[in-house]
Amino acid sequence: MVKKETEFLKKLETKFKVKGRVQKERRIWLSISKDKLIEICKWMKENGYVHLSAISVTDWLKDGKYELTYHLWSYDDKILVTIKTKISRNDPKIDSVTQIWGNNAQIHERELHELFGVNFKGNNDLLPLFLEDWKGPAPFRKDFDWRDFVRKEFYDKKNEREMVYFD
Amino acid sequence: MVKRSEKATTMRKVIKAIWIFNWFNSCGFAELVPLVGSRWDMERFGMIIVGTPRHADVLFIAGYQTHKSIERAKRVYEQMAEPRVVIALGSCTMTGGMYWDSYNTIKKLDDYLPVTMYIPGCPPRPEAVFEACEKIFQHVKELE
Amino acid sequence: MIKEIEPAPKGSEYDFYFGPAHPGSGNFGVKLKLEGEVVVSARADPGYLHRGFEKLMEYRTPIQNAVLSDRLCILEPLNWNLIHAEAVDELMGIDIPERAKYLRVIMAELSRIQSHIIWYGVFSKGVGFDTGFKMAFGYRDYIMDLFELITGGRVYPAGYICPGGVRRDFPKDAEAKILKVLDKLKDLIKLEELENPAMNARAKGVGVLKLKDAIRLGATGPVIRGSGKKTDVRKDEPYEIYDRLDFEVPVRKEGDAYARYWIGIDEIKQSIKIVKQALKELPDGEVIESSLKKPKLKAKIPEGEVYVRNEISRGEAGIYMVSNGDVSPYRTKVRGPDFLHMIPVLEYLLKGVQIADVPAVYWSLNICPADMDR
Repeated sequence: MVKKETEFLKKLETKFKVKGRVQKERRIWLSISKDKLIEICKWMKENGYVHLSAISVTDWLKDGKYELTYHLWSYDDKILVTIKTKISRNDPKIDSVTQIWGNNAQIHERELHELFGVNFKGNNDLLPLFLEDWKGPAPFRKDFDWRDFVRKEFYDKKNEREMVYFD
Repeated sequence: MVKRSEKATTMRKVIKAIWIFNWFNSCGFAELVPLVGSRWDMERFGMIIVGTPRHADVLFIAGYQTHKSIERAKRVYEQMAEPRVVIALGSCTMTGGMYWDSYNTIKKLDDYLPVTMYIPGCPPRPEAVFEACEKIFQHVKELE
Repeated sequence: MIKEIEPAPKGSEYDFYFGPAHPGSGNFGVKLKLEGEVVVSARADPGYLHRGFEKLMEYRTPIQNAVLSDRLCILEPLNWNLIHAEAVDELMGIDIPERAKYLRVIMAELSRIQSHIIWYGVFSKGVGFDTGFKMAFGYRDYIMDLFELITGGRVYPAGYICPGGVRRDFPKDAEAKILKVLDKLKDLIKLEELENPAMNARAKGVGVLKLKDAIRLGATGPVIRGSGKKTDVRKDEPYEIYDRLDFEVPVRKEGDAYARYWIGIDEIKQSIKIVKQALKELPDGEVIESSLKKPKLKAKIPEGEVYVRNEISRGEAGIYMVSNGDVSPYRTKVRGPDFLHMIPVLEYLLKGVQIADVPAVYWSLNICPADMDR
């Protein structure tokens, strides 16, 4: 059932000395360290993985790390490979993949820069995308609690219609 | 001859047919565009959609507003000529609605613009919008 | 002899904001730099509808998220409902009953037909064909009545497709009514067979996107099928029951606004075929998995991560969900097709276009600003 995926994973593991797993049909998950990222991505693009589906960041507060995930799809093999890598949470910096996937990657990185504060080296257009005049911290971080912020800014505890939002 | 105040006379002359400037926010689009269509035809009541705020009597704010879009809505409101009316659709304009804990939406439209009428619903049905307009006509008739 | 008009001198560009209150645009702004009547460069200005959906989902349980997920894009709420329910089903390891799979596909395809009818209507208005606009919104109301009969709401179905199956079964007369409505839609499609010369002149050769650029800029769905690539998530990695149904994927080679618009019409025909097949083969049985009939409000989600891909009417949609054993998902990433279509693809296509053609290019990409800003 998962013969093609296991063969492809074995090729990757022997060539780059990384560890991965096959979750089910058409899904491969790989965890790598951040200095191998550009090398592996270049090889993937030359071998048919031309479509970058999404880039995402997960904020692991307890470990103190941000985990970046790159989801790649190949139209020929029809397999989705996810590459995961961890960087530090207090000073998040990583190389940009716009040199490989062009404008597609550039817009995803611009959004993540605004919402999580990640710095992508090599991407020269990281201006704010959605927010205008926002002076608070990066909104999607786990230590910024939205319910506390909204209760302080917008709602009034003494008003009888708005008391319900305070429990 | 019945004596009426000056405000009542101007309102009676002007508000016979409502001209709307559309500021449809996301949720309002799918329920207010059928009002223009052939099933709930709003032109038979005299309501049409105009393209510039100078021609409009009524500003429909349909749906939630964010900080970025309320600035533009305020500028549109300032350009409308007297007498002007703001109608707020949906429950997101009253207390914040389903996005009450979002950092970017505004919770009470009353803090930014003077609202004349609220229409509840998520989203409100087209018949509710017609009932609201009929209440405006009734209110103008009873002004003295 | 007619004197030639000299081109504008260099440096005579001016800025123009094609904004959210324009009658020909959606809730989205584009900053254009014009020279005379030709666009030199464009820059998108999103963010009028940003609510921060992905973090709102972290404060709520999956049952509450099922109701919130229809508001990701108002023009096709049932398709987003479906992809969210699939992600939670896979994380929790649930197998849903057969009848539920067929009902899910019927509702998703009806929602796709309704969304393409809106695309047809709004594109006609942008191009100047007002009859098409009125007819489209007239026919769409038949489908809205069907939704009200089955789910209870005209626009938002209040989480009808929830984790575990669907919330309630079809009422007894629903199947006959669905077939009647599909028959009426044949009249709408026949109208398209009469080629309208005004629409052809304004849509042919406008906004051409070649295949190489489409792949580089991340286009999916009807936009890349209009440029010649035959790809559809329902055929590449079938989900629910799409591997048992017989339908085609329409493709065109020219890549202009005219080709994309005709793909929308062909897809309505294919969706009608799918709904008729599914209604014929509908099996009996339960509609929701038995452990979720009376769900516990604070049930914990097992640890894990999953990436689900679906084909919604605008392109490829994806949800990446991570859970660490709590009652709410730890992180939900929503990937919508419009995020790519409205920023890189639009900025690339608007170069060198006349200003009167900007709405035609814009509406031919079938955009929904709510999906982009989330």
